[in-house]
Amino acid sequence: MNIRKCAMLSALVMGSVLGFCVPAMAEDVTISVWSHDNDRPASSLVADYNKLDTGIKIEYREVPFDDLVSEALRAYSTGQAPDIIAIDNPEHALFASRGAFLDLTDMIAKSTIIEPKNYFPGPLASTMWEGRQYGVPKATNTIALYYNKDMFKAKGLDPDKPPRTWAELVDAARKLTDPAANVYGIAFSAKASEEGTFQFLPWAQMAGASYENINTDGAVKALDTWKTLLDEGLASRDTLTRSQWDSTGTFNSGNAAMAISGPWELDRMVAEAKFDWGVALLPVPEEGAERSSSMGDYNWAIFSSTAHPEEAFKVLEFFVSQDDRMFSDFGLLPARADIDIGETGQPLKDAALHVFLEQLKYAKPRGPHPEWPKISKAIQDAIQAALTGRMSSREALDEAAKKIKAVLG
Amino acid sequence: MRHAFRERLMLAAALVLTTVYLFPLYWMYITTLKSGSAIFASPPAFWPTDPQWQIYGHVWQSRNMGRYILNSLVIASGAVAIVSVLGVGCAYVLARYRNIWVDAGLFLVLMLQVLPASLMITPIFVGFSQVGLLHYPRLAVIIAIAAKGMPFFIVLVRATFMSIPRELEEAALVDGDSRSGAFFRIALPLARKGILVSGMLIFMQAFGEFVYSRSMIQRVELQPASVGLYSFMAPNANEWNSIMAYAAIYMTPLLAAFVLLQRGIVSGLTSGALK
Amino acid sequence: MKGRWSSIVDGKGFDIALVALPLTFLLTLSGLPLIYNVLMSLQQVDLFSLGTFWRPFVGFKNYSELFAQQETWPILANTAIFVAASIVGQFLIGFGLALMFSTNFPGASWLRGLFLVSWVMPGLVVGAIWSWILSGDFGVLNFLLRESGLINGNIFWRSDPNYSLLAVIIANIWLGISFNMILLSVGLSAIPADLYEAAELDGANAWQRFWTITLPMMRSSIGAVIALGIILTLQQFDLFAAITSGGPNDSSNVAQYWAWELSFRQYDFAKGATISVIMIVFVMLAAFVYVRSTRHEIRG
Repeated sequence: MNIRKCAMLSALVMGSVLGFCVPAMAEDVTISVWSHDNDRPASSLVADYNKLDTGIKIEYREVPFDDLVSEALRAYSTGQAPDIIAIDNPEHALFASRGAFLDLTDMIAKSTIIEPKNYFPGPLASTMWEGRQYGVPKATNTIALYYNKDMFKAKGLDPDKPPRTWAELVDAARKLTDPAANVYGIAFSAKASEEGTFQFLPWAQMAGASYENINTDGAVKALDTWKTLLDEGLASRDTLTRSQWDSTGTFNSGNAAMAISGPWELDRMVAEAKFDWGVALLPVPEEGAERSSSMGDYNWAIFSSTAHPEEAFKVLEFFVSQDDRMFSDFGLLPARADIDIGETGQPLKDAALHVFLEQLKYAKPRGPHPEWPKISKAIQDAIQAALTGRMSSREALDEAAKKIKAVLG
Repeated sequence: MRHAFRERLMLAAALVLTTVYLFPLYWMYITTLKSGSAIFASPPAFWPTDPQWQIYGHVWQSRNMGRYILNSLVIASGAVAIVSVLGVGCAYVLARYRNIWVDAGLFLVLMLQVLPASLMITPIFVGFSQVGLLHYPRLAVIIAIAAKGMPFFIVLVRATFMSIPRELEEAALVDGDSRSGAFFRIALPLARKGILVSGMLIFMQAFGEFVYSRSMIQRVELQPASVGLYSFMAPNANEWNSIMAYAAIYMTPLLAAFVLLQRGIVSGLTSGALK
Repeated sequence: MKGRWSSIVDGKGFDIALVALPLTFLLTLSGLPLIYNVLMSLQQVDLFSLGTFWRPFVGFKNYSELFAQQETWPILANTAIFVAASIVGQFLIGFGLALMFSTNFPGASWLRGLFLVSWVMPGLVVGAIWSWILSGDFGVLNFLLRESGLINGNIFWRSDPNYSLLAVIIANIWLGISFNMILLSVGLSAIPADLYEAAELDGANAWQRFWTITLPMMRSSIGAVIALGIILTLQQFDLFAAITSGGPNDSSNVAQYWAWELSFRQYDFAKGATISVIMIVFVMLAAFVYVRSTRHEIRG
């Protein structure tokens, strides 16, 4: 590498001495980008960008979801971090708070392409740390209630009036559950991972709790409602160990009448669900209560160790400039309120999208807090302790509150 | 007559046990032919209603499996080469003597295998990056895998050397052969069975290794098939039928090769040289 | 110079060279990482200080904090149960199969080869498949048990705290059968047939032959297989990740999975390292058993 640089340099010197130094001889700047998204945006955007031939070349690396943070920590610690990374939003603050990400506030202020005011408040908040902006939301998602309209009809429920409150939800689940036909009322995920927190926190928030204040009466009621769903057999016991994707799989195969999950399910559901379905906003504790939902997906960020901050920022600007393709080409919801995602021509999907866009207005980020994983773990432990019956919901959440308080200091 | 009956009984019992044991394999093959959510159907389907055979060609093409498998072969062969060159001699010496040093050596060899790869990777990554080995990522992975598999290999091959009568070697020494000559001409050929089986197991393990590979090999062109498999087992993007088709394509030839090989190794040579 | 060379070709030097090279290799590549982990368990580890050996030392603070956590002892107990049950299961089934195949009935060598499946199958795939087989609702195991009338309601293998550890043990036994079987087969085939013939002439029945010939002759193979089984079982990770994630409520959590969880989920690297040091105690046990077993070996 060094030898090559020297050679380049001497070639340049020689060239200028001889009087025919051509600008094109300058080596392209290479920007490395890490992301996890299979065949979705990043790899395609990178390919498109490299075709533009701007003098900046992007090198893309797909990193598996489970390894993204540990790979990034390891690389940053040994001075081999990429220039740009797409990081899961609750983990953004971990890096931002420690100065591992570049403070983009000033660059964004000068940018004509990135306008913070265009973003939904939830996703934007997840890129902030102490009033400065350390990244740009890449896309966003949230969760809502899927329901099987055919099953609603069959059990005498109105398919145009999905449950709106927790009581209605439990009631509907009771009516829809049919062990003889292998049908559960509802499918969701209470897994001991970030997914469990992602699914539970909205319930607690709708009842007025927050992660700083997790043992309120409302949160206890939320957890008790979950416990009812499991104890009465309205949801599978495997809810405790199954991911959202696998749980919703049982909805698609007709073994659950409702499911709580996000827009990432839409394509699979359109392809595989052999019944009429719809999406509704997450039911609230009681009529008129505050709405809430969780907020997922990634943020773009630039590592502070980058040798080419300007060029990296240009790449980010390019990614943002393509946000209007985010849905049509990649099926992801842009994190921006100023983009009309248009029609897909798939009536079920279009109807669902409107609900998700409405739900997004209430989406709240997890944190931001640099020690989010520990906070999240305390919440997962509480969920699991209560649902396995080892503790009451109250005890479990008190315990979680104690652990979270220790983290918050 | 009684003998034939007993043999047939044994065969029947073995067939039943094999069927039970192979069920997960069957389930892998059958899943390749199912559509996405059919996996979660209850009751489970033992044969897909609408088998999707084209999945194999599709996965091979779209996942660029040829290149991945080639990388896996390079890595597995490299690791086996290092492990056998270094490990055989070590196993031989540890089998030949009976003293406190040998005890200590054996103890050490086992102890060094204590940590799972997921906990070893951070220090190895840091160390390799400091000596610049990460610029040769496949070599780095080969070395790391070799270190991981070595204790396993040494312990197994040592057990094989233990079963070779020492008299044969001593006879060679009496006949004027050197120590190294006795090792290469007598001990090594007699232990080849155990060495081959152990090498085979190491090969298969190295072929499927992914904890080291996925961290150290960042360029897609150099990644082995296991990493290719892992990279599409993402939480929300799972196409289980493709994943299982990928796994089937990658392990079936390997399995077939080793079924044949072990047949030759384990039953073919009935320690003839020993008598 | 000449003397040293001849020693390497034909003397003690030969042995030392054969052992020194691989041990140096191992000490560098496995020993140093081990030391890194041991040091880390005594240090305060910052997320971004992974790249160095030297961090502020905190003595045994990580240990005392760890043992103050209520989940620590249950998880260590789970680890012990997991290892013991897996080894017993793998070994007995593996040995049984190896003995059966050693009678060389027609087709034995082919069928034996098929038992390598669990060794060749990628760990990720094994995990996924077992997680489906063991699923409560659509799982095949429950389906078969139900159809055969053994159970009435579904057993939630993965999500019932009473069964979750057993679920992973079942999968792990399946996984371990292959190498137990194949290695014990190799060991069995090395026993000279004339020993058996002689014993038969002396009037020993099959049972006596097993105890007086097979077992003693297999000692080194058995010691090796069990010691390696313990170590491989202690490194089992994929199955936990795929089947139960250590849950529900840590009922199937074991040291190795917990160490990973602490290090790479909660980024508490010091605690993760601390657990890995505790695991060394388990492995020392295995190593001790193994070295003891070599004491009574019979050299062929």
